[in-house]
Amino acid sequence: MNPTASQASIVSITNVTKDYTLGKVVVPALRGVDLEVHAGEFISIAGPSGSGKTTLLNLIGCVDTATGGVVRVAGQDTKQLTERQLTNLRLNTIGFIFQSFNLVQVLSVFQNVEFPLLLQRKLDKAQRRERVMQLLEQVGLASHAKHRPNELSGGQRQRVAVARALVTRPQLVLADEPTANLDSVTGQNIIDLMKELNQKEGTTFIFSTHDAKVMSHANAVVRLADGKFLDRISAAEASRVMAAGGH
Amino acid sequence: MGQLRLLLQVAFRNLFSSKINLLIGGIIFFGTLLVVVGGALMDSMDSAMSRSIIGSVAGHIQVYSDDSKDPLALYGSMSGEPDLAALDDFSQLKPFLEKHPNVKTVVPLGTSGAIITSGNTVDLTLSNLRELYKKRDEAGETPELRESIDSVKGHVRQMVNLMADQTARSEQELGGAQKDPAEVKALAQARTDAFWDAFEEDPYASLELLENRIAPQIPDGDMLELRYAGTDLDAFQRTFDRMEIVDGQPVPTGQRGMLLSKFFYEEFLKMKSALRLDHIKQERDLNQKTIATDPELQRWVKENQVQTREIIFQLDPVKTRKMVERLQKLLGSQEPALDTLLTQFFTTDDANFDTRYAQFYSELAPLLELYRLRMGDVLTITAFTRTGYMQSVNVKVYGTYQFKGLEKSAMAGALSLMDLMSFRDLYGYLTADKKAELAEIQQQSGLEALSRDEAEEALFGEASDNVLVAEATSTDVDDQAAFIGDQGALTRENLLQRVYTQQEIEQGVALSAAVMLKDPELLEQTMVELRQAAKDAGLKLRVVSWQEAAGIIGQFVLLGKMVLYFAVFIIFVVALVIINNAMMMATMQRVREVGTMRAIGAQRSFILGMVLVETLVLGLVFGAAGSLVGSGIMALLNSAGIPAGNEALYFFFSGPRLFPTLSASNLVAAFVIVLGVSAISTLYPAFLATRVSPLQAMQTDE
Ligand SMILES: Nc1ncnc2c1ncn2[C@@H]1O[C@H](COP(=O)(O)OP(=O)(O)OP(=O)(O)O)[C@@H](O)[C@H]1O
Ligand SMILES: [Mg+2]
Repeated sequence: MNPTASQASIVSITNVTKDYTLGKVVVPALRGVDLEVHAGEFISIAGPSGSGKTTLLNLIGCVDTATGGVVRVAGQDTKQLTERQLTNLRLNTIGFIFQSFNLVQVLSVFQNVEFPLLLQRKLDKAQRRERVMQLLEQVGLASHAKHRPNELSGGQRQRVAVARALVTRPQLVLADEPTANLDSVTGQNIIDLMKELNQKEGTTFIFSTHDAKVMSHANAVVRLADGKFLDRISAAEASRVMAAGGH
Repeated sequence: MGQLRLLLQVAFRNLFSSKINLLIGGIIFFGTLLVVVGGALMDSMDSAMSRSIIGSVAGHIQVYSDDSKDPLALYGSMSGEPDLAALDDFSQLKPFLEKHPNVKTVVPLGTSGAIITSGNTVDLTLSNLRELYKKRDEAGETPELRESIDSVKGHVRQMVNLMADQTARSEQELGGAQKDPAEVKALAQARTDAFWDAFEEDPYASLELLENRIAPQIPDGDMLELRYAGTDLDAFQRTFDRMEIVDGQPVPTGQRGMLLSKFFYEEFLKMKSALRLDHIKQERDLNQKTIATDPELQRWVKENQVQTREIIFQLDPVKTRKMVERLQKLLGSQEPALDTLLTQFFTTDDANFDTRYAQFYSELAPLLELYRLRMGDVLTITAFTRTGYMQSVNVKVYGTYQFKGLEKSAMAGALSLMDLMSFRDLYGYLTADKKAELAEIQQQSGLEALSRDEAEEALFGEASDNVLVAEATSTDVDDQAAFIGDQGALTRENLLQRVYTQQEIEQGVALSAAVMLKDPELLEQTMVELRQAAKDAGLKLRVVSWQEAAGIIGQFVLLGKMVLYFAVFIIFVVALVIINNAMMMATMQRVREVGTMRAIGAQRSFILGMVLVETLVLGLVFGAAGSLVGSGIMALLNSAGIPAGNEALYFFFSGPRLFPTLSASNLVAAFVIVLGVSAISTLYPAFLATRVSPLQAMQTDE
């Protein structure tokens, strides 16, 4: 749908493997995956449980390192970066939306969203305020800025998380099953919100999900099976496959 | 800036959101409270105690001869009197010490001890009678004298009767107990009318029989240890300004004389029955004890009921009659026997005690000698040399003294005071007087070397008006100074009247010098400087602080402090472990939160800062609360005071109540310790927190 499909790739994964070692047993979670994601894409990662979706997202999100192969995020080979540099990459280039929202309980909605900006130390107080309020406006929670997370519903909390992920204007937002803890209508709303931001801001989204309805919003669905890249299909195709009973 | 504010905000909000934080906070709170209150109490007690020691006899610094075998111990040591070398001429030492700009006053001192043996009541009465006969022989008989003689004679006769009755009674009870037949015979003889009818024919012979055969049958003489300090009494009074005269008067300037410690006077020289009443009253009034519940009070009551002889023997027939009348009236009784009446009177309980106490002092005491020594009496103190020679000194007791606030302290009351001249005589250093006296005696009678037995015989066999005879335990008496005789005693009588100049007092031997400082803060420095000055001047002196000079007592304080520091150390090690564990748990609970922060871009340093700031806030908030409550407690204690309860504590409290104060240094110390402990105990948990992986953000527990 997006005409900029031919733009520079923001994520470039080549022959990536990931092994987990549980005691003496080696569990291969990814067994040579290739993936190219371009700026502005809205991509869903699908696959049966245990197929390696979370593992793949963790590698892209620079919170874990690959056993083999190359992971490039925003043009940088993550293997070459130090712990500090990886952290800075996460701070400035990537936004995270978690399955269970992961807000800081003792901070207000406003403070949670402001948090990455404070870590960045780029904006002054007034600028931060403007940016935070703008995002809260966009996720429809401007009136809840002073609330604490535990005073919000699950959907509202995930909206706050979306705002927090986007407040630094990252190039890439990663979301591992962002709707799994929400009912289907609320989940639908979150995906709509993400889609809207993708289109307005041009932010690249990669999210994983089991839900066919959620998948249908994506530009493309990347299917994994047993730690391997299966195929890359359109959302419409994916719906058909799902309806046919496959994954 | 924004980050720090965020950290503080997170820290403050976490403060009350986690139970673990409350636990840690509680430990910090009580830890601070303990350090503030415990530290302040210890410091206050330490300074109270140092006030006691410094203000009673030690001064800030003590200076004594470096030739001494033992260290100076003003309050005595485990091994008895320390063996000190004398300072030969105090008048040279004084200006040397006073040269130092921080020295305020210098007082010469010499402490020593003597065993006092007090004669029994029969002895005292007999010597009284002998005096009267002597007076008659010298001045002739007057009707008043005759009456006195008859009264005392009646008294003696009554005592003999009482003794015979008691002997008979105990013989009945115990069967034919071993008894010296000569004694039995003497007692029987002394009871006969014939003996008393013939008394006047040769009163001295009759007295001798009573003194040698009858009096020794009563074993109620006491052996007491008298510790005394020889000093320049005026300088002492000026320097130790807590000292006050209680009974009698100060020793006139320049004269020989003694001031007994009031505590010693009460505890050891007062009639036991009266002393026990005083003790019971004090325990009831001060410590809220009751006769009904306290075994010690019950024991005292019992002893008063049984031990009535001290009172009965004191009374001559006239006073006995009066006493019986008064007791009968007080008790509403027809009982004729005095001992039964006394036993009834001393049968006290919580209901009648206060009345009986008041009655004792208003009705009975006027008929009694409450103390075995009166102000103005002359005390003979005797010292034996190593080779068995003997030195005795007569000292007039002018009064009793005490240190304000330390009235009940056995420790502060341990020393009686004596003029330096008497002290020097006794200690065996020849004063000018002594030399002259010695020369005179040698001229008149030739010096006789006496064995100890002979000397004793000579002393105790001699009639004198001395009530008490003391044997000094000093061993340094100059052998040449041993002499005894009527002439000597006469000369000594005159010595009691002599007035010495300040120069005479100071020129001569002292054992140590007490130095009072202008600025006590400079104690250590002044000591170092005095040591150096002594070295430079070629004086062989030891300069020690009051703490060292106090001997065992000084070490008690040190010990107490060490125990406290050790306790604090243990408590903090325990706190360290607990806080450390609690912090680990707190960190574990926050793994997801920390992981999330790491995932969205927080560096490890940020996490470290977060944990440390939280600890700091925790420490400050609860530490401040602890300090505040601690200060409140100290303020309360300061206004109310802590009662000493038992007498041993008076010395440590520098009075009957300790009014502890809180100094800024206590608060600072508490804060530093608490923050230090919490910082140290968070280091490892904080390190662990920085090792939390961003992956742990995805953990789906909670
Ligand atoms: N920390 C780990 N230690 C060991 N094995 C792991 C670990 N994380 C994942 N695995 C294994 O790696 C494989 C891929 O797991 P992953 O979580 O990526 O699958 P997934 O597609 O996200 O599954 P789901 O849909 O259930 O979330 C699985 O076989 C899993 O058991
Ligand atoms: Mg998964």
